[in-house]
Amino acid sequence: MLKLIIEKELRDIIGSTKFAITFSICSVLILLSFYIGVKNYQIAQSQYEASKRANVRQYEGITDWVRVHEYKIFLPPQPLATLVNGISNDIGRTIEVRGRGELRSEDSRYGDDPIFAMFRFLDLDFIFSIVLSLFAILFGYDLINGEKERGTLRLTFSNAVPRGYYVVAKFVGSFLALAVPLLIPILAGILFLPVFNIALTSDEWFKLFLIIVAGMLSIGAFLSLSLSVSAKTERSSTSFLVLLSLWIMTVMIIPRLSVIGADLFVDVPSLDEINSQKSRFMSQVWNEDREKMSAFSPPKTDNMQEVMTAFNKFMQDLADEREKKFNELAARLNEDRMNRQAEQQQLALFFSGISPSALFSLSASEATGTSLRLEQHYLSQAKNYQQQYAAFMKEKTGMNTGGFSMVFRMVSDDNAEKPKPINISELPQFEFAPLSAISGIGYYAGYTGILAAFNLLFFAGAFISFKYYDVR
Amino acid sequence: MEHLPLLEAVDLTKRYEDGALAVDNISFSVHPGEIFAMLGGNGAGKTTTINIFLNFLEPTSGEARIAGIPTHVEPLKAKKHVAFVSENVMLYTNFTALQNLDYFVRLGGKTHYTKDDYRTVLLRVGLQDEAHDKKLREFSKGMRQKCGIAIAILKDAPAILLDEPTSGLDPKSGFEFMQLLESLRNEGKAILMSTHDIFRAKESADTIGIMRQGHLVMQKKRSELSGEDLEKLYMNYMAGINE
Repeated sequence: MLKLIIEKELRDIIGSTKFAITFSICSVLILLSFYIGVKNYQIAQSQYEASKRANVRQYEGITDWVRVHEYKIFLPPQPLATLVNGISNDIGRTIEVRGRGELRSEDSRYGDDPIFAMFRFLDLDFIFSIVLSLFAILFGYDLINGEKERGTLRLTFSNAVPRGYYVVAKFVGSFLALAVPLLIPILAGILFLPVFNIALTSDEWFKLFLIIVAGMLSIGAFLSLSLSVSAKTERSSTSFLVLLSLWIMTVMIIPRLSVIGADLFVDVPSLDEINSQKSRFMSQVWNEDREKMSAFSPPKTDNMQEVMTAFNKFMQDLADEREKKFNELAARLNEDRMNRQAEQQQLALFFSGISPSALFSLSASEATGTSLRLEQHYLSQAKNYQQQYAAFMKEKTGMNTGGFSMVFRMVSDDNAEKPKPINISELPQFEFAPLSAISGIGYYAGYTGILAAFNLLFFAGAFISFKYYDVR
Repeated sequence: MEHLPLLEAVDLTKRYEDGALAVDNISFSVHPGEIFAMLGGNGAGKTTTINIFLNFLEPTSGEARIAGIPTHVEPLKAKKHVAFVSENVMLYTNFTALQNLDYFVRLGGKTHYTKDDYRTVLLRVGLQDEAHDKKLREFSKGMRQKCGIAIAILKDAPAILLDEPTSGLDPKSGFEFMQLLESLRNEGKAILMSTHDIFRAKESADTIGIMRQGHLVMQKKRSELSGEDLEKLYMNYMAGINE
């Protein structure tokens, strides 16, 4: 009987205008998001390669490693980040690496093209959390009361149909009917990828699978919520209004309010405040160092090289001391800010956890490695690289480049062989390891677990409401 | 030996939560091969009685039984023995007549029918061949009623409940409908029908009950009514003269 009602539900929906419209819109949007994603990825990839080339080219002809500064590393584009953007377009892609000091990422996509920041990209996150959640409501708002209004509920329950079976069949049938217009264009979109020479790794396939699972759970949550409201109200117009209000709340308002709410509860110092503290401290230390510099007395010798070596050592020691002090302060300020920011983020995530669409966005960004963790992950990898860079430069120059130093090169013989240009490719290469699907699986499981709980909770609500529903 | 009643109301009472008494202690029975027509005005309690038989409503006291099974105790078991045709048969408008039949008949537990069986029954109820594959959205009320009775026939339940089935039908369709009911009666079905139509009730029913304000104020066999003017009798009961 369950199968019979599911089949009927599927046939009824698939034969409807509602389905035809949903299928058309979903197909267009999903295929468009794949196309835009692929195009963006290709553009980002060529920009990435060009930036890397330009970075290397600036050192052409340089003969001394000491003159290597403003060396940049870049965040490589990830294929799935174009399907679920997360924060990948908001964070800086470029980091200027020095042998010491803090690293900052710059040149975000949205910073470069603010118009995209205004309207954001069309990605699977947008399609699932905005468009499909709305379609789920359109499919579900009259599942029960619509049957009553059409008069078919009486005839159905004049037969020996258990109410529990009916609610399950209604949910499963409409869920499958909604999954079809979703999965077909996604599969078609996936087939597009090889056409554009985009090969996914096994980890990326797994990530894609995780996105689809999270999307299904998100749709399921909205559908079961709709079923529940439909089984609680007599008129489909009432349930539609209630569900539309809930949709606006969960999709539009709660995610924004959760951030504002978290900001009210946890005060996070701004980067400007922190940078200002750092600058003040640095200028104070500089003043102290200037006095030390003026008190510098060179060794009493006629050997200029010996004088310069002593001066460089003196300056290096000052720079090391200065960096040590600065790093201590910066670490303390940064840690405090990071702790507060983490606390604020946790609170915002906690508040937004009551919105299925926010939960989908969080799980999808965790699956694709474009979650809030991406920025820290990139910076942490950059810091690791900074150590390799510093070690390499020390080996090449005998000092840790990055602080203030003066370098004198004395040429004693004009006929001596001209120095050879450095080979910049000797520098260690920055290899970015994207956040793997497994690294975020804990968070993903948490978010999708709540989504699954919403499914169960809303479905239980529908089940109980329909048990007492007046089918006349 | 007299058959046991297939449909039976025993001291059936229904009081709504707002205190309104819809059905007040009524008792009657419908045996195989019998048509019981419940007459009465709007709000007399006819539909409420049928709703209790279908377990759409729980009785406040008393019992409605189908094939001896109290419907509020074992509704699923009881409903296997009954088919239902409402005043306004509503089916799925996206489906054809055949698709609707297939769904509702299988929902009623009958899975052995072929398309030809469906077509035969649709023809029997007067729905012409060309309508069988048409979507229900193109059907008139009369055509939908025919589909409804076809579903009831195919369910092949021993008891049939009809809630004002001829209401809104044109005279020809109404006549054909009643002929069909008589043939079902002759096949041994127990039929409980609520109606406003005194004329057709008198023509076809074996027992006539008149309901007024929740009470079954009269219940007579057709033989007991011979020579009586049913219309006048009905009007008197409605006016409270015969009580």
